[in-house]
Amino acid sequence: MAHIPDGVLSAPVLIGGAVLAAGGIAVGLRALDEASIPKTAILAAVFFVASLVAVPIGPSSIHLLLAGPMGLVLGVAAIPAVFVGLLLQAVLFGFGGLTTLGVDVVDIAFPGVILAAGVRPWLARVAGRGPAAAAIGGGVAAAAVIGTAACVAAALALSSADHLPSLRVIAVTYLPLAVVEAVIGGFVVPFLMTVKPEVLGLSPAEGAEP
Amino acid sequence: MTRRFAPPRRCAAGLVAAIVAVLGSTSAADAHRLKMFVTALDGEISGHAFFVGGGRPDGVDYVVRDATGVEVFRGTTDDRGTFRWRPAAAADYTVAIDVGDGHRVEATVAAERLAAAIATPPGEPPPATTAAASAAVPASGGSAAECPAPLDPAVVAKIVEAQVDRAVARQLRPLIEAYDQAEGRIRFNDIMGGVGTIVGLAGAGLWASSRRRRREGER
Repeated sequence: MAHIPDGVLSAPVLIGGAVLAAGGIAVGLRALDEASIPKTAILAAVFFVASLVAVPIGPSSIHLLLAGPMGLVLGVAAIPAVFVGLLLQAVLFGFGGLTTLGVDVVDIAFPGVILAAGVRPWLARVAGRGPAAAAIGGGVAAAAVIGTAACVAAALALSSADHLPSLRVIAVTYLPLAVVEAVIGGFVVPFLMTVKPEVLGLSPAEGAEP
Repeated sequence: MTRRFAPPRRCAAGLVAAIVAVLGSTSAADAHRLKMFVTALDGEISGHAFFVGGGRPDGVDYVVRDATGVEVFRGTTDDRGTFRWRPAAAADYTVAIDVGDGHRVEATVAAERLAAAIATPPGEPPPATTAAASAAVPASGGSAAECPAPLDPAVVAKIVEAQVDRAVARQLRPLIEAYDQAEGRIRFNDIMGGVGTIVGLAGAGLWASSRRRRREGER
């Protein structure tokens, strides 16, 4: 799925992905301060472990990506977090290749980060309203999965005619994942908003119960 | 307002329970990677592809290519992810499976693993050696006086080699399959090693930022 192995993508796609990912990691590291390092590490560890667990579905198998919630909580710092998780998975378990690391980081982290940045103003506006926050959290999580699917399909299609992505397989595998991630995002975001709104970048008063 | 929607504590408990249920139902061995087991037995290339820990690619195209990259056969895996193909001549063949969503795996079967069961010149029909074997085995089993015709040592050597190759391949197959499965297993130690690395990186980051702050404070 989002762990593309070595030898599938072409050099221009690999280099483009690596450059984008390196830029994203640099921006993400610059945004890290003492207060945000622990939560970045915790979410990197959660991503690392959660995306190891795969469930067979259709002709393929799927696992959680959690890009939406990561983007909402970490912002651009989600990019280095995803990079560390993917690097460890590649080195320890051989999931995804080392040459494809850049493309995989772009595929997984960028949609979540961009979508989360887009909805952040709305998040402050719905503070304290559970269902609305759940809708935003679920929507971002599901849309991030669709974004990842689109990025993976684009990377495969740009690389070679031999590896043309099968739209049927991608639809069969990513759509159920989008639903599952929407449920998780829909639970996590209102929960964090009530319990610890500063994690989502809101001031404590904004998220407090009326 | 939030209280009406869902008490956060119950929310969190539900989420944790859901994650634990998913982890429990699929066992810690589940993971994400396509691997392939391929072997040559009696001149037939066969094997299966599997996702490490869970599932087989069902109804996915597999392609056999020769050493020059020319496609020589294309088929579809069954619900166990298996494939089989009998080549006409012994040569290096590469079997590739592409699920279509970025999962791809390929493996090569060397010519010498097929050579014992397939007559080397492609024109000759493969059963040639089998026919020779059935003719030769009773002859050697019978009394020596009845059948004094000396067997060509080269033919005998060939038959023995083919039979031994076959027996060894049959015995090794489950072993290699088990090894492939075990190699792809996710070990708890590795997971904890990864988490530990992340904790270490966070510690290093905090240490670096505290040093920077102290240096700025001194100035």
